[in-house]
Amino acid sequence: MSAIAKALDKVEAKAKKIAAHLMEAAADDIEFKDGKFTVAGTDKSLSFPEVSLAAYVGHKFPTHEIEPGLKETAFYDPLNFTFPSGCHICELEVDPETGVVTIERFTAVDDFGIIINPMIVEGQVHGGIAQGIGQAMLENGIYSEDGQLLTGSYMDYTMPRAGDLPSFTLGLTTTPCPSNPLGIKGCGEAGAIAAPPAVINALTDALKIRDFTMPASPERVWRAANASRLAAE
Amino acid sequence: MYQFNYHRPTSLADAETLFSGAEDPKFLGGGHTLIPTMKQRLASPSDIIDLGAVKELGGISVSAGILSIGASVRHADVAASPDVRKFIPALADLAGWIGDPLVRHRGTIGGSVANADPSADYPAAILALGATIHTTKRTIPADAFFTGMFETALESGEIIAKITFPSADNAAYEKFRNPASRYAIVGVFVAKTASGVRVAVTGAAPSVFRQTEMEAALTKNFTPNAVAAIKVSADGLNADLHATAEYRAHLVTVMAKRAVARALA
Repeated sequence: MSAIAKALDKVEAKAKKIAAHLMEAAADDIEFKDGKFTVAGTDKSLSFPEVSLAAYVGHKFPTHEIEPGLKETAFYDPLNFTFPSGCHICELEVDPETGVVTIERFTAVDDFGIIINPMIVEGQVHGGIAQGIGQAMLENGIYSEDGQLLTGSYMDYTMPRAGDLPSFTLGLTTTPCPSNPLGIKGCGEAGAIAAPPAVINALTDALKIRDFTMPASPERVWRAANASRLAAE
Repeated sequence: MYQFNYHRPTSLADAETLFSGAEDPKFLGGGHTLIPTMKQRLASPSDIIDLGAVKELGGISVSAGILSIGASVRHADVAASPDVRKFIPALADLAGWIGDPLVRHRGTIGGSVANADPSADYPAAILALGATIHTTKRTIPADAFFTGMFETALESGEIIAKITFPSADNAAYEKFRNPASRYAIVGVFVAKTASGVRVAVTGAAPSVFRQTEMEAALTKNFTPNAVAAIKVSADGLNADLHATAEYRAHLVTVMAKRAVARALA
């Protein structure tokens, strides 16, 4: 994204020079805003498509001064990684008779820096949480002692499905990232990373135990919830 | 899938004639077990005789206090039937909870019962309600029908025509579903009918069975508490990736208790 931003800066600078010739103004007087090139202090303007078309029609401007075309290349080497952060909170209920765990509420607040498309960011968080809940409660690849995959189809391998999930409550804080020009941070794995500890910590809290090995499938939870009684039998 | 001959007779007589003339025939109901098995090449019948167009096998009716469901009636149609909903609501609930929407709109009651899958839902209702299986040759009481894992009293070439149910004063089905396949890990159907209280358990063992200790307790006192303390033995119960025999045994009691509560609700 930073390389795209850098390349776009170069495209904008070059397009301004071409726009300056077309509108007979100095390049320094050209402003670019909302997809339009304007000459400061006048009502002259050209749209981005008009300027980009002219960029490929060499006789519109002196090609010994400006090379035709609007293609630019940029290379960006990040100064540092990005460090998204967040807090995911899971509230669940355990049916001690069957070991069935139901997630009642799942709330996540993340800081992904500057967000360009909020809708797809929200979608990424939803998908990540679903995957994280799947890992915590459902998914388990099991092999037999001689190496045969026993969970070889969805009849045995439990993928998280809509019915396994609550509606999520999502929030954001915005701290621009200092290590790239757009101030953006990664968001794709936030839910997948945060949901398993949130779910399992809620479970260990509910059962008053110290540790629980994923996945929290019904029989395993039932055994953990009734450990003392089962040991006594 | 291997090659086979496909037939679609419109009468039971034609279906039986086709069957007796074929080398290694199979009857097809909704096809939700047979076709996947054929795709995996675990079955390779020479002839498939599709019973879907046989008119005698369709329809739901109530007369003289008996509910009759034709063998080729689909699960979704049982679930939605005003007759079933009025006569034995628990049976409509059970049908509406089988598998997923695709299964419910293709699978048939006759196919399910003839297949006798150890985790199928219908066998629990049939055994608990004391239903009667009417075939092309005879009538078979539920108690004599389910003989083992995928095994029934049906003889080769014998076709289920319909299943009849007596009314129930109280009845309900509770199941604990496999989280992946949604098949019953344990399903318990309790029914109080004119001939007494019955508790039938599916999913837990190789074949559906009656839990007679619970039946005796519920006959004296039809409340959830009557069965809550009854411990079921894990001996001979199924075990798989999702549930050990011990857990299944425990779930039989929990599902029975919840089924009684639902039957009284």
